[in-house]
Amino acid sequence: MPHVSDDHVTTQTSSGRTRLDERRRARFARVEPRGARVHTARERAELLMDEGTFVEFTPLRAAQPGAGSGVVTGWGLVDGRPVVVASHDAAIASGAIGAVMAEAICRAQRFAIDRGFPIVFVNDSGGARVPDGILALHGCGEIFALNVEAQDRIPQISVILGPCAGAAAYSPALTDWTIMVKGHGHMFLTGPDVVRAATGEDATADEIGGSGMHTRVSGVAHLEVETEVEALQSVRHLLSYLPSHVDGELPVTGPVPVNPISAEALSTVVPEKASVVFDMHDVIDGVLDNGARLELMPEYAGSVLTVFGRIEGRPVGVVANQPAVRGGILDSQNSVKIARFVEFCGRFGIPIITLVDVPGFLPGTVEEGRGIITHGAKVLKAYAQARKSLRLTVVVRKAYGGAYIAMGSTSLGADAAWAWSNAEIAVMGPGGAVGLLHRRELAAAEDPAALRERLAAEYRENVARPYVAAEAGIIEDVIHPEETRDRLVAAMRVLEHR
Amino acid sequence: MIDAKAEIVGNVWKIVVREGDQVGPGDPLIVLETMKMEIPVHAPAHGHVSRILVAEGQIVQEGDPVVEIDDTVGA
Repeated sequence: MPHVSDDHVTTQTSSGRTRLDERRRARFARVEPRGARVHTARERAELLMDEGTFVEFTPLRAAQPGAGSGVVTGWGLVDGRPVVVASHDAAIASGAIGAVMAEAICRAQRFAIDRGFPIVFVNDSGGARVPDGILALHGCGEIFALNVEAQDRIPQISVILGPCAGAAAYSPALTDWTIMVKGHGHMFLTGPDVVRAATGEDATADEIGGSGMHTRVSGVAHLEVETEVEALQSVRHLLSYLPSHVDGELPVTGPVPVNPISAEALSTVVPEKASVVFDMHDVIDGVLDNGARLELMPEYAGSVLTVFGRIEGRPVGVVANQPAVRGGILDSQNSVKIARFVEFCGRFGIPIITLVDVPGFLPGTVEEGRGIITHGAKVLKAYAQARKSLRLTVVVRKAYGGAYIAMGSTSLGADAAWAWSNAEIAVMGPGGAVGLLHRRELAAAEDPAALRERLAAEYRENVARPYVAAEAGIIEDVIHPEETRDRLVAAMRVLEHR
Repeated sequence: MIDAKAEIVGNVWKIVVREGDQVGPGDPLIVLETMKMEIPVHAPAHGHVSRILVAEGQIVQEGDPVVEIDDTVGA
């Protein structure tokens, strides 16, 4: 064996160092983001995490000589808690998903599922990588399968910071929440050119799959934000309410008192006349800790509100009827919105606070045609199944008929329900009930209008008032509005003893 | 011209504005009655009421235009 001189060793090492340095330079060269993009894929991953905590998986992985996998994957900390990220790199083959990219994403998904860390998908992809053919499609399918597997284990959040087209669009739909950036986030199965060729329809990318369309009309996305940075900050905000995995602890912060002005106003917020509308946000503000709120789907199916907030520092998911929009009725669209939110909270054991003022399910040909029975049943199922969550319900004004049952009733398994002293809980409202119960009397009356009014008042006091439900033990108690927060706080104390 | 549309099926319970009135976004134009709720239809933009397209007591469907707003003058 020939003698190896020290000089020789030194030369070998330095050439190895040079080669690695060159590889790294090539791989990590900052490619100026194109179009409206502000940050590169790696910068987006870094911005999501606490400063300096992002660790990239297999950074030198290449699909073929000269081209990267097209995705930056890794993990880091968000408010000190581990989170996994897969950030599409639009600088490489337009972020299109090829075989190697799919493998890298699947590896990140597997890591997240096995460790019990939430995963964030930063989407910016033209779809499947065509030269990879069936291998690309197979890879996309494997990502979807892991999205579904992850549903039983960890929170999954998608942000759309560029196009998210074709096969790429299905992954966000299998995650829990999707956040889109106005103007440059687009989600669609096919873009404007293919649409024009296929059907002749002339539509812009915004019309087919812009954030406005998806957060107001389709309900495919749940939050619309102005900038890339705001999108990533919204993810951090959302994660602050969620456990890391289904068996994880809820992230509790220091207790913050309720806003004193909102609390003071609580007893006068709800108009006594059951037909007059008001803004349910005022009730939410009078009950929850003052400060952070995250309302999901604020522009979609607005007659119900779905909001994350806190009570004494503990995260809660609030479901509330919103009388200010369409009278607060339940319909097909908002049933799906409620069911999705309740199902999510139930999966992760997030306490569900339901605030009720509902005139009923909207009747008629239009809603029946939309399948209100099927969609309404989803609400029943979601509440009944959310056994892991503490479920607390407050009827602030009226709860009639099937809508009473649907809105987090104890009948479906709520841990406790209360009703404000002016509330009405009944099979139907006084007007309808009187017409049904006293048809003959009303027909024979000299002044049917006066009789109807008198009978309705009697019905309201004797039948609909919540004391019937309280005496039957169906609700816990009848309370004054200003007692609401204390009752919820006391009930939530059981969570300290699990 | 912009139409204010009914958000929900119902009957026109009360017409709040008159033709020629100046309105701003969010101002109530008419009030629908449905499911025993008084549900206002709000002005979508600044302008003046150029035409009221419904009468009190009339049934309107979701999406029906109810008031026409001229948003071209002084907007």
